[in-house]
Amino acid sequence: MNIYTAIQNLANYKKYLQVEEFTHTYLKKKGYLKTDLPVLSPALIPESYLEVFETELRHNKIYHKLYLTPSPELFLKRLLAYGAGNCYCLGKAFRNADPSGGLHMPEFTMLEFYKTKANYMDIASEVLSLLRFIADNMTGGEQISYQGKRVTFSRWEKISVIQAFFKYAGITEKELFNHRLFLKIASKKGYKTHGFTYQDLFSQIYVQEIEPHLGKGGYPTLIYDYPKEFAALAKLNTDGRTAQRFEFYIEGVELGDCYTELTDANEQKKRFIHEQKLRKQLKKKTHPVDKGLVQALEYGLTDCAGIAIGFERMAMIFADVTSIAELKLIHINI
Amino acid sequence: MKINAGSLKKGDFIRYSGDIWQVQKAEFYSPGKGSALMKSRIKNIMSAKNIDYAFKSNESVETLDVECIDMQYLYKDTESVYFMDQRTYNQYTLPLSVVGKAANFLKEEKSYFIYIHDDKALTMRPALSVKLKVIETEDAAKGDTVSGVKKPAIVETGVTVMVPIFIKVGDLITVNPETGEYGERVKE
Repeated sequence: MNIYTAIQNLANYKKYLQVEEFTHTYLKKKGYLKTDLPVLSPALIPESYLEVFETELRHNKIYHKLYLTPSPELFLKRLLAYGAGNCYCLGKAFRNADPSGGLHMPEFTMLEFYKTKANYMDIASEVLSLLRFIADNMTGGEQISYQGKRVTFSRWEKISVIQAFFKYAGITEKELFNHRLFLKIASKKGYKTHGFTYQDLFSQIYVQEIEPHLGKGGYPTLIYDYPKEFAALAKLNTDGRTAQRFEFYIEGVELGDCYTELTDANEQKKRFIHEQKLRKQLKKKTHPVDKGLVQALEYGLTDCAGIAIGFERMAMIFADVTSIAELKLIHINI
Repeated sequence: MKINAGSLKKGDFIRYSGDIWQVQKAEFYSPGKGSALMKSRIKNIMSAKNIDYAFKSNESVETLDVECIDMQYLYKDTESVYFMDQRTYNQYTLPLSVVGKAANFLKEEKSYFIYIHDDKALTMRPALSVKLKVIETEDAAKGDTVSGVKKPAIVETGVTVMVPIFIKVGDLITVNPETGEYGERVKE
């Protein structure tokens, strides 16, 4: 591990600063409250797949365990429940076990914003409008050039998860929702299924066969309505088997993840317990569950939707580079 | 040896669907929908074809114990290339199809790195560039100074490389053995 200084990235870094400035300007103009939130927390939202950083506070020889937050969600939702209204946080987030690669860093910048009385598709419109605003301020139009290709922010290219699995992997709707059939077809395709779950194989086929096609048509792609197994904090659709979640992609790069928020405190508690159990099974570091958030939800979370955007990844598109490291003046090389 | 795909790194040799592959790229990826993955680019050492494959990070993968040995190039025929381990004088054979274009740029008595598994040669470690002497090329016509114009030149291993027009017989040039492309003119 070493500290890497890359002054040659100065021009890219300045583009990053522009993207940051225009993001703040846009959200302020649209009435979102900018929030400054802690990154150390004594409890977290249990999410089965996340590895967290743990540290401790020493005070009078008493040790308090603290965790670096993998996202500001637990704080922003409290603020929403207690009436802060539309709000956002642009700050550092931490994911352990993510080595520094092209699109990952264990310490990265996340833009998370929430809109009240809104669902995931309202957030989709807001994101498109934000992308257009940044592009317009940087290039004077709704188009940018990324790695020699033109990307236009005039509309989304929308595809549902069901459509995408059929179009790119030849998996039917029936097979997608039936775990046994899904594992069978995965095995037929040559994937290892013994000892693995539906979630594992869904993830593998998604990355192997679907993701490479997303955002390649000159417009950003919005892929929406995931099976409910992949949305611990999202509201279900009326079909009862998909959740109101979308992700968006530009040139095969995943940039953001959005839900219509689950507002039912009891359902939320149930899902938290389930996720925490999964974490134990997966031998992830266990941490206290944020009970304050459950209380806040009991107090009443208004109908809202929110999105988390990998901010460096978004800036990468506008700076026309292919890795997060190229935006950094200093980073830790692992 | 079996390892978790999450520990794969560039250069590892693995067995996958019956063939031997070398890892060209391996990037950890956590899509937040189920298990983490190892997005890899692997090269089939027999066909030299690259494919992208996302392993589950906790899926077990068989890695092969492979040694990289400096060997002397002996000769080639229409099917194979022959090398000798200078320590043991054992001979090893690689099919031409595995060595690829690089076979055109092998110089007799020079040594090259060969990957060995179970006392069998797997493939040659590609060199970024090789230095070769130009033995035959036409002189550029006087006044013909249009930049970017190329002409054929035969190098000491007997193959033809497209070179800039200022290159003369006796010049030493670098060539990318994987693509056969001219690099630059160099001094001895």
